[in-house]
Amino acid sequence: MPQLYADERVYFELVFRPSVVLTTTVRRFVSDFYERVLDDEDSTSRLAMATQELLENAVKYGSHGETVLRIEVLRSEGIVRIHTSNRSDALNIAILERRISEMRSAPDPVGFYQRLLRATVNEPDGSGLGLARIRCEGEMEVDLTVEGDRVAINAIARTHSGAPS
Amino acid sequence: MREHLDGFSSRIARSDEALHVLLEGDANMSAVEDVGRTLDEVHETALRENVSVVVIDVRNLEFMNSSCFKKFVSWLGHLQELPKETQYMIRFLSDPKMHWQRRSLHVLQCFAPDVVTVET
Repeated sequence: MPQLYADERVYFELVFRPSVVLTTTVRRFVSDFYERVLDDEDSTSRLAMATQELLENAVKYGSHGETVLRIEVLRSEGIVRIHTSNRSDALNIAILERRISEMRSAPDPVGFYQRLLRATVNEPDGSGLGLARIRCEGEMEVDLTVEGDRVAINAIARTHSGAPS
Repeated sequence: MREHLDGFSSRIARSDEALHVLLEGDANMSAVEDVGRTLDEVHETALRENVSVVVIDVRNLEFMNSSCFKKFVSWLGHLQELPKETQYMIRFLSDPKMHWQRRSLHVLQCFAPDVVTVET
């Protein structure tokens, strides 16, 4: 394997039309990437989970066209950024904006996640658990930007080891 | 490197006191209905046969997405709503090398500490 330097910025970008089959394939691919770049099994696991959740959101709520997945590792800062971008309709964008706003206004990720779990016991699917899971189990910051009908979500993690070795 | 099991599968078996549920593979979007059906069947069987413990073996479950996870949350929530004397305990058997299991099962244990235990 080529030597990676501590201050190296490592990234890749995939442009594809997400499907159920592809989300799992991509999760396995990015797991391999995280494993090689971070050398930290726990970080690899939570980042793989976050990637899959974000791609499944794109499948469920994206309207048409391509989804962009960009994964960037800032090795010197020990930061990983997962970025997805896709088109969506006004209703789904509004729902997503509300969910992320509610989540970000709750200071305690664990408490928010547990309250959301309790509130959704009798609810059908589509309750925003995936985003709360990324924030709580993935220990990531999640934010959203909207430009017209294009939605971009950034999930940012600090790896446990700080600057990956 | 771990061998990937494509798809999702579940098996339910009965022993003297417990109901054993084996979940394997990848619980992604395409497994949501299966997971829901399996847990419904487990719940109905456990109540009908007065089972005291349900053992859920997830050691070969590579991944579970939030929609499948939500099926577990609903199951636990409904179990907690039952009178104490009709509730059963749930024991998860997990693989410590699957890091998602440690995090997600801990969340379930915090959600329903009165009925859930997690073993590695």
